Amino acid sequence: MSATISQQALRELVTEWIRQGKRVAGPRQVKPGCVFYAPLESSAQLALAGFIRPANSVKEFIFPKHEELYGYRIAGNGIELIEAKQPAGEQVLIAARPCDAASIPILDHVFNWDYKDELYNLRRQLTTVVTLACTAHDDACFCTSVGLGPAAERGSDAMLLELGDGEYEVRCLTEKGEALLGGKVQASERVASVSAGPEKRFDAEAVRAFVKEHFDSPFWPAQTLACLGCGACAYTCPTCHCFDIVDEGNIERGVRARNWDSCQFAMFTLHASGHNPRPNQPSRQRQRIDHKFHVYPEKFGEILCTGCGNCTRNCPVGMGVLSVLAEIDHAQHIRTRPDEGH
Amino acid sequence: MSERAEFEPKIVAFVCNWCTYMGADLAGTTRLEYPANVRIIRLPCTGRIDFNLIIKAFEIGADSVLVSGCHPGDCHYTSGNYHARRRWILFRELLQTLGFDLERIHFTWISAAEGHKWQQAVKEITEKTRKLGPYKDLYQISGAEGLEVLSDAPAVAPEPLPGGEVHAAETAVPGSTGVEALRETCRRLLAEGSVKVVIGYGRRGPVFVTRPEEVEQLIWDNHCLANLTVYLKRKEIRGLGRPAIVVKGCDERALLVLEKESQIDRKEMHVIGMACKGMGQAKCETCDVHVPRFADEVMGYADKHPAETGERWKALEFLLALPPAGRMAYWAREFERCVKCYACRQVCPMCYCERCLVEKNRPTEIEPSATAKGNFAWHIVRAFHLAGRCVGCDECTRACPVGIDLRLLNLSLAKAAEEHFVYRAGMDPKAEPLIGAYSLQDKENFIR
Amino acid sequence: MHNIYEPDLMKVIETRQQTPDVKSVKVRFLDEARATEFSFRVGQFGIFSVFGYGEATFNICSSSNWKDNLEFCFRRVGCVTEALWSIEEGDVIGFRGPYGNAYPTEEWKGKNLIFLGGGIAMPPVRCAVWYALENRADYGNITIVYGARSVADLVYVDELDEWAKHPKVRVVRCVDPGGETPDWKGEIGFVPTVFERAGVSAEDSVALVIGPPIMIKNTLPVLYRMGILPSVVYTSLENRMKCGVGKCGRCNVGSFYVCKEGPILTMAQLERLPADY
Repeated sequence: MSATISQQALRELVTEWIRQGKRVAGPRQVKPGCVFYAPLESSAQLALAGFIRPANSVKEFIFPKHEELYGYRIAGNGIELIEAKQPAGEQVLIAARPCDAASIPILDHVFNWDYKDELYNLRRQLTTVVTLACTAHDDACFCTSVGLGPAAERGSDAMLLELGDGEYEVRCLTEKGEALLGGKVQASERVASVSAGPEKRFDAEAVRAFVKEHFDSPFWPAQTLACLGCGACAYTCPTCHCFDIVDEGNIERGVRARNWDSCQFAMFTLHASGHNPRPNQPSRQRQRIDHKFHVYPEKFGEILCTGCGNCTRNCPVGMGVLSVLAEIDHAQHIRTRPDEGH
Repeated sequence: MSERAEFEPKIVAFVCNWCTYMGADLAGTTRLEYPANVRIIRLPCTGRIDFNLIIKAFEIGADSVLVSGCHPGDCHYTSGNYHARRRWILFRELLQTLGFDLERIHFTWISAAEGHKWQQAVKEITEKTRKLGPYKDLYQISGAEGLEVLSDAPAVAPEPLPGGEVHAAETAVPGSTGVEALRETCRRLLAEGSVKVVIGYGRRGPVFVTRPEEVEQLIWDNHCLANLTVYLKRKEIRGLGRPAIVVKGCDERALLVLEKESQIDRKEMHVIGMACKGMGQAKCETCDVHVPRFADEVMGYADKHPAETGERWKALEFLLALPPAGRMAYWAREFERCVKCYACRQVCPMCYCERCLVEKNRPTEIEPSATAKGNFAWHIVRAFHLAGRCVGCDECTRACPVGIDLRLLNLSLAKAAEEHFVYRAGMDPKAEPLIGAYSLQDKENFIR
Repeated sequence: MHNIYEPDLMKVIETRQQTPDVKSVKVRFLDEARATEFSFRVGQFGIFSVFGYGEATFNICSSSNWKDNLEFCFRRVGCVTEALWSIEEGDVIGFRGPYGNAYPTEEWKGKNLIFLGGGIAMPPVRCAVWYALENRADYGNITIVYGARSVADLVYVDELDEWAKHPKVRVVRCVDPGGETPDWKGEIGFVPTVFERAGVSAEDSVALVIGPPIMIKNTLPVLYRMGILPSVVYTSLENRMKCGVGKCGRCNVGSFYVCKEGPILTMAQLERLPADY
């Protein structure tokens, strides 16, 4: 026994959610050739086919690129703090990819590590994630190398799987998913087949060992010279969560806000004394791989990466973590792949 | 209407110390009344004005801005106002492209003896601004007519995206002998030690070949999009030693600009020019530099198709056809997606400042936050800092992960440079830099 | 909603200029109830802020026994510290904390304490010294060697005198060669050299060494030669921190998050970490 929904019914649901005042976000073609996760003003804007995955991630709906932590008013030598607006209003992420949905439980660890980040948690609680399983992948995808796959359920409240004729199988995976979609679907016998996904490109355990043991290796400069130190990878990555805290305002009032930041920027770890523990791009690239494949797993038991491939696709010079990881794999001779192009 | 009657415009005036400030002072001492709406900011010279100051004025609540200095020929520092005038000509073009309300920004020459002129100018600007109304935020977006101009493409059957192709095999350009000659040249250069590293294109992206046997990594096909000259200033690359660099004709223009700005020494590198049939990018349609002109050697497909100079500004047509409010709405929508990743800056060979203006926090000139205000300020200032320097390689546009059409900003300034000053960055090694130079004949029909 | 990023408001009680570019500031919670309930352990740090300029991380350099106020000490080098330089008594600043771990004062009980500090790194040592003096019976001999580039760069000079008055406390102050004044009565030389010359006993000792990297690098061999093991040589690791709560991803040294698992650690621990600091 399964459940299905037609594309038309799905779009009608989206219209209904928007009408109810929920904030609905999903893949949207904002201009030709550019599909991004974006708020939907109407269900016609929801793009369901014709692309591998949006160029950004869903994290901005739970962890915005700019978030006001609180405001302040300065009067004389007195300060008045103004509470940040508590996140409110339900949110539905529709047609997220499994590699996006999985990032949310992964990020939960760090945002609740001893100190609970309520801004994140409240937004998370208000969000229902409806994932669309993948039927295709490209060379940048590597979800299967990090323990996920085209229909991985981690982080999803409900999953849609294409049946190929405009219908989707619907699997409600959590109470939230049930609350949103239960009763709106047709009972059915149809079960979608799931694609195999990309071939495994590296062994994550071996990568972790390599990164831990080869901190000072010339491997890093050799592999990362092309990196220009922008934040395109970090900002489109579903799991990168580094941020900066700034004050913005004038002499009377302002806000203290947090903004996305990237360990690839030269000033990220710059000390006031002028000393920089990571003074060049290779050391910063090393940190990226280290953090994702060694530090985070050691601390929280999960890799800080879902294999979505955004970093590779968005990198102006074609890098991204996969190239480095594949090279580590190559260097370790873990898997011999005689048909490798490189 | 009562709100209007109570509205007192805030005019910020950036004035030079020697002429206009004295003129304003004269107005005061001779008891000429002028509206108290003006707030004067005194600078040594109009040449000191960077446009982030003007933007900042609007950010913090100015309703209009006046910029005023000594008459041409009277500058206390001889030529500061000439430099300023040239910049203003270009900046107004950029503001027009952005859909900015040019009615709110005024330029005048007012001398120390012209108290009356100061009084007149301030009176007129105040009244004009009073009629225009308050400028609530820098990026005031007008109502419906602007926002409906660009609707999303229909959700059904969008353009298929190229996806993240990692090119496993090279795609040979038909008839090209480029890659073999390239590899052989590089093998020779490395073997004889005349260069220590070849900065070239590899299958995945830029590669840095240091050993002769590794030249097989080099490719030459229609995926060779990056502008490799950006690596010449990166310290990790400089540390590798004397480079050979592979450039297309468009990239080579960057070399000329970098050399003109004393950032590189042409003698300290070996330039390998690749004659190019086009990479399928928008810029290629109007390219007239298919064959690098100043390289140490040129190889690749030498057959070139004729340049089409007239069509160079075609991409701007749709934008210029919009009313100002429509242009502003377009850019507001585009910049909303900006995440301040600075990929545009990092890929640009001309953005070589050790510490970028946006990274300064004493004081904060451009807010780093990815807000409407922060994004507009960043893109305006970056575009303007490239005025007359941008060579149109369009790497910024290609690099932008959220698909902002940054080339439109660069094109509008390139158009201004060509139309006003007959100048194209990186074309003539003997030409004086655009912003660094000035002419007594620069047009000033917008300056009162 | 409990916002972990929202600071407490603190009133500035006193500012003192210690050197041409260093000031110390005493602050007290505006909220009396908070002032009464607040406590911290010596060695922890706080994130102090000037509204409109930003936040910065400083060690709380007052002893955890002092309930009246918190103290921090800063050098004027950047945006926030420039703003802090202008604050006066009565002004209000922000404080978040206490964050990080603390000096293992329990483990140090019964030991002889060696404190080595250099320049602006004295304040994190200062709080440990006061704590030890206030719990004098718990600790053995106390040796303090403090040096700076020049006489003018020494901070908390008057307290150095006070410390020397306590029983079984030895204070050695020094300045770099060339940094002395004609009437300088202390030692001349770098901290590691002066410390070695001082002939301090290593018996049953633990050491706290805080200073610029070069000073630490040269002091360690001296300590090890004396027979003091890396597992009892402590330092406070300074890394650039922003959130203080382990989320912004900036301060990690390998898997070691300075704001959560540090900043206090032993040399033995530090040696196991990658050179990422």
